[in-house]
Amino acid sequence: MTLTIVLVFAAALFGIGLYGAMSQQSFVMLMMGLELMLNSALLAMIGFWSLGLAGAPEGQLLAIIVMAVMAVEMAVGFALVVAVYRKRQADMTESIGTLKE
Amino acid sequence: MSPLVLTLPVALLAGAWLAAWIDRLAPALWGGRAAGPLAPLRDGAALLARPNATTEAPDRLTRWLAPGTYLVLAAAGLSVVPLAPGVAAVDSPVGIVVWGACEALTVVAVFLHGWSPNSPFPLIGAYRYTAIGLPVMLPSMFVLIAAALPAESLSLIAVVEAQREVWNLVRQPIGLPLFLIVGLTLTLRGPFDFADGADIAGGTSAEESGPGRALWQLARLTMLTAFSAMAATAFLGGPLGPGLPAPMWLALKTVAVMLLTILACHALARTVPSRMLHLLWVAALPLSFLHLALAGWVAL
Amino acid sequence: MTLVSIIALGLFAVWTGWRVFVVDSMVRASFSLMLSFLCTGGIALILHADYLGAATVFMMAVEMMVMAIFMVMFMMNPAGLNPMKMVHQERLSILMGALAFGVFVGAVLRSDLPDAPVAADRPATFDLGTELLGPSMLIFETAGVTLLAAMVAAVVLSSRTGRYGEADAGARPPGLTEGGDPAGRQPEEGGHHHHHH
Repeated sequence: MTLTIVLVFAAALFGIGLYGAMSQQSFVMLMMGLELMLNSALLAMIGFWSLGLAGAPEGQLLAIIVMAVMAVEMAVGFALVVAVYRKRQADMTESIGTLKE
Repeated sequence: MSPLVLTLPVALLAGAWLAAWIDRLAPALWGGRAAGPLAPLRDGAALLARPNATTEAPDRLTRWLAPGTYLVLAAAGLSVVPLAPGVAAVDSPVGIVVWGACEALTVVAVFLHGWSPNSPFPLIGAYRYTAIGLPVMLPSMFVLIAAALPAESLSLIAVVEAQREVWNLVRQPIGLPLFLIVGLTLTLRGPFDFADGADIAGGTSAEESGPGRALWQLARLTMLTAFSAMAATAFLGGPLGPGLPAPMWLALKTVAVMLLTILACHALARTVPSRMLHLLWVAALPLSFLHLALAGWVAL
Repeated sequence: MTLVSIIALGLFAVWTGWRVFVVDSMVRASFSLMLSFLCTGGIALILHADYLGAATVFMMAVEMMVMAIFMVMFMMNPAGLNPMKMVHQERLSILMGALAFGVFVGAVLRSDLPDAPVAADRPATFDLGTELLGPSMLIFETAGVTLLAAMVAAVVLSSRTGRYGEADAGARPPGLTEGGDPAGRQPEEGGHHHHHH
């Protein structure tokens, strides 16, 4: 019962994150959507570890890996944002359109 | 959580008063006039009576949330410190990580304090502070992990237990100076006072007056108390000591670290942010990493 | 009691997650996201994952602080003093979000979830430590090397001395007005300048 509730919340966070990642025009807001999706994965993993795996340590390990992925994604993502802005003065996804048509 | 949580506000307020008085004693070092113990109370009451300054279109929610968060973080940091061997207000098995979380959220609180008045100098202070405060988290964590290695646990109660024979200050001598750097940054003092510096007209407190200013100063002093207690626990053995009751030993060691911090704050000069960044990344961080490697090698 | 606090924190996490994309002030958006993460950390603490909860709070505070700085750098309306809504393909996104939520909830409700709660006195942090440095050492070390690679990549991508010359050579800051000239002295060289706003 508790596991179901935790997973429903994780699903809601994932849905909101997906909406944000697909709809936002600004790079930084898009990355916030990605962060929310990873947040939901983290929450789901902690829920499963605590309520479904009887505390097997591999569950915590996967949660740590999700946190490492979050850190890597943010670091490289923001470096890319800075590099794209320096090259093309683009701070919105609509502005980089050289591959269009 | 035990009923000891109720002692936290009393301890924080008493510590803040003591720290404010020691601050006013410091001018005696360079020939100025020292003030009596009631001076902080007088100044605080005078501040409360002054009008509260307002700016154009401030972020009202964070205007009061920032000092409030700062106070709560000081309380949270102090709550994991053991008051007697085996007794803490919040017995957390990961006390060191909880303190690290309080440090990180302090940077957020100071940034919000500088962001909220919608004014240039506070924003500059907030940005400068973030540029310095975030890198300072790294030596802080290395030093605390090194202090936790002899205890083989992240719980502060275990860290205190592991110091029964010898204090961490003796077997890891550069830990406390590095941790003092962290303390000066957390409490916006001395060489790390980039947030509230006089060179940017008071920085994040430039637009503060009256009760808002009093609250912010109180928050900084309570954070100094919490930091001193944490340093005393991690490096000076906390509540351990013969003779006196354990909380009294903790209080004595906290006051000692407080004296050291305020002395460092008034004695050391502040340099430009770029040079301080350089010093942090090139000197303090590798030093703390070597310190951790040495502590790990000794522990193995 | 535990269930009530989990539900409260979960609702607050979802609400602050939604507020991220609704508020006008960009700094408030990044700190709203931080609150969402803090709720996840809180739920982890309630579920006896002490280290994970505290580490989530720690990491996310620092990450969201960095994100707030990037917000103010790259968004034209950081304080939210004017209303702003910069979205594209909004209907499709709402549909996809709702679809994802529906699919996941359906999967959760239909499947037979295991019921094996962790014992409250289990030393979770100790277990995690021995697991990381014992059977899963390879994963741990790989994660460490990946983080190092990410650090090097981030520094290389954003360093000012680029690979083929200065990184902002030929760069032109945004104009004071739409499509206008930037403030300050104009660079002497002519040539092709793309500037978007």
